[in-house]
Amino acid sequence: MIGRAWLRAVTADLIRHWRHFAAASVGIILGVAALTFFLALGLEVRSLLLVQVFPADHLEVAPRSADIDLFALRIDLGRDALDAGILADLASIEGVDAVYPKMRLTVPALASGGESIFGSGLQTEIVADGIDPELVADDVGSTFREVDSDRNSTPCSRDEQCGDDSYCDGSLSFSGGTCRPFIPVLVSPYVVELYNGAFRRSYGLPKINPDSLMGLAFEMDFGASTFRPSARPPIRERMRLAGVSDKAIPLGVTLPLGEVRRLNIALDAPAAGERYHSAVIEVQSKRSAPGVVDAIEEMGLEVRDRGARRAAFATAVIMVVLALVGGVLIAVAAAHIMHVFYLVVMVRRREIGLLRAVGARRGDIRVLLVAESAVVGLVAGLVGLVVAIAAAAAANAFAASRVPDFPFKPESFFAFPPWLLASVLALAVVACVIGALPPALRAASGDPSEALAGR
Amino acid sequence: MIRLQGVRKRYPGADIDVLCGVDLTIGDYDFVSIVGRSGSGKTTLLNLIGGLDSAYDGAIEVDGEELRSFADIELSELRNRKFGHVFQAYHLLDHLTCRENVSVAALFARGEMRRDASWVRQRAEEVLETVGLDGAGRRRPSTLSGGERQRVALARALFHQPAVLLCDEPTGNLDVETGREIVGLLSDLHRNGDMTIVAATHDEMISAAGARVLRLHDGRFVDPEGETE
Repeated sequence: MIGRAWLRAVTADLIRHWRHFAAASVGIILGVAALTFFLALGLEVRSLLLVQVFPADHLEVAPRSADIDLFALRIDLGRDALDAGILADLASIEGVDAVYPKMRLTVPALASGGESIFGSGLQTEIVADGIDPELVADDVGSTFREVDSDRNSTPCSRDEQCGDDSYCDGSLSFSGGTCRPFIPVLVSPYVVELYNGAFRRSYGLPKINPDSLMGLAFEMDFGASTFRPSARPPIRERMRLAGVSDKAIPLGVTLPLGEVRRLNIALDAPAAGERYHSAVIEVQSKRSAPGVVDAIEEMGLEVRDRGARRAAFATAVIMVVLALVGGVLIAVAAAHIMHVFYLVVMVRRREIGLLRAVGARRGDIRVLLVAESAVVGLVAGLVGLVVAIAAAAAANAFAASRVPDFPFKPESFFAFPPWLLASVLALAVVACVIGALPPALRAASGDPSEALAGR
Repeated sequence: MIRLQGVRKRYPGADIDVLCGVDLTIGDYDFVSIVGRSGSGKTTLLNLIGGLDSAYDGAIEVDGEELRSFADIELSELRNRKFGHVFQAYHLLDHLTCRENVSVAALFARGEMRRDASWVRQRAEEVLETVGLDGAGRRRPSTLSGGERQRVALARALFHQPAVLLCDEPTGNLDVETGREIVGLLSDLHRNGDMTIVAATHDEMISAAGARVLRLHDGRFVDPEGETE
């Protein structure tokens, strides 16, 4: 076959039947325009929410839960921890700067102390987790850091002998004590708010200034619980509050990751020191956050970023619903294309018979008609894209002049990434080809003599 | 060589056979005229011989090979290379120029028959010249007279130098004078070229041009041998 001659033949046919094809293209143009318009709107709004309204340069990633309620129990069938392999996969995602794993304390713990603030000592069950101090270095500085694993074993009889970061452990014992470092802890601002709100009122306690809490020392008995006796002897450590950070566990205390790992191994099992319940992902830029979120979800994990995720999900739902309208329009248009091509095939029946008589194979006829439909789809798709971009420009102009300013109001409410334009264009072509396929198959069937006779 | 043995054909929904067990042998370079009234089965016979119709009983052999055994690809190639068809209704494509009409078979040529655009253009001009239409390559069929259109249709059939030219009522829509010119062309082609010509007609001029005449009546040859000469 001669390529240029084929192209001329296809073009000539399209020009000859342009009225039919123009009528058939209207649906495709509207569908493509609607689909592109709504997808572009959704993409930009989603990006706006994730990047500006809910800054998402840090994302907390956790295994996706799959809970099933069975009577009083809720059974989790999902993965319950992240391992080193998953952390490595997360680190390899494009746009990820760093991955900070978080490890939950897998044994119970009791916290006691607070005489200097509350007047009398308090004791409470408490949960704890561990994070990499690097993650909160900007929030709380170097006071929250890993404790020297060698431990200060200098003999002592008083705390003052051990310096600022340590205390004298066992100073009252007969043989004297040894210096041990305080374990720095962080609390969430939410804990302080909760205390100053409902908790202190219920117990008649004073309201506290968060800044005054810095340096507060208290004791924790790891492995101890008021609910049930521990299998192994508890480990008592003295803690010191090193700061308040929104990256700390909302209800509980946050320790350096190495401390939690050490305690889990000592009191639970060696494997508990290698399992992370979540990880905080630092993205290179806020712009890259949506792409990182998509990649994380493709790995079967979920992002625990409340506001941004909820808003992005709501946007995605609205976007899908609106895009569905465009999709339905394209599907209807494909059906219209099919009818038009049936008509065109009927009109060209003798011509198709002649082509078969001079040597066209059935496949040639199919290719000819499908190529024509693809060109119709391409042209209609391009026109649809132009309509969508023009409509978006009009909407932006309207928003700029008539809609009052509001926080995070963007210059454009629409994003037209090349992949979106290419995908929608491809969809238009595919819809037309699918629509034209049944008529093309019918046109290619039967003997040439039937077609020449107009049967 | 083309050989038909006991060929029967009945159209779907019809009560009677259009062809009732036709036996026929056409040798290489024969000039055969199949004569008969309308509805006698002439067009059907040409369609069967030329591979335009594959629904029949009996056997049709072309160069010793049964047509029914050909797949669509082989049959299409046969129509492209070996047969040239001239139709009573011309079947020209009005949106194409005469040159493009003549060379339309080149679109579907494969293998060594596939040529570049300049060869195709030159060959189209050549065959147009052969049928006396030199210089008409750029014209549209709608601007031509009936005789000229039939010449374009003939040129189209000759484009690939077919071994067999099948003409269905080539003078049917023409006045006597123009019909005589077309018959003259066919006669010249037979005399000058290595070509078998089978023409279905009720025009006695063709028999006068030296063709072997076969008379078809109600789907049967009147002379069992098919010989009337």
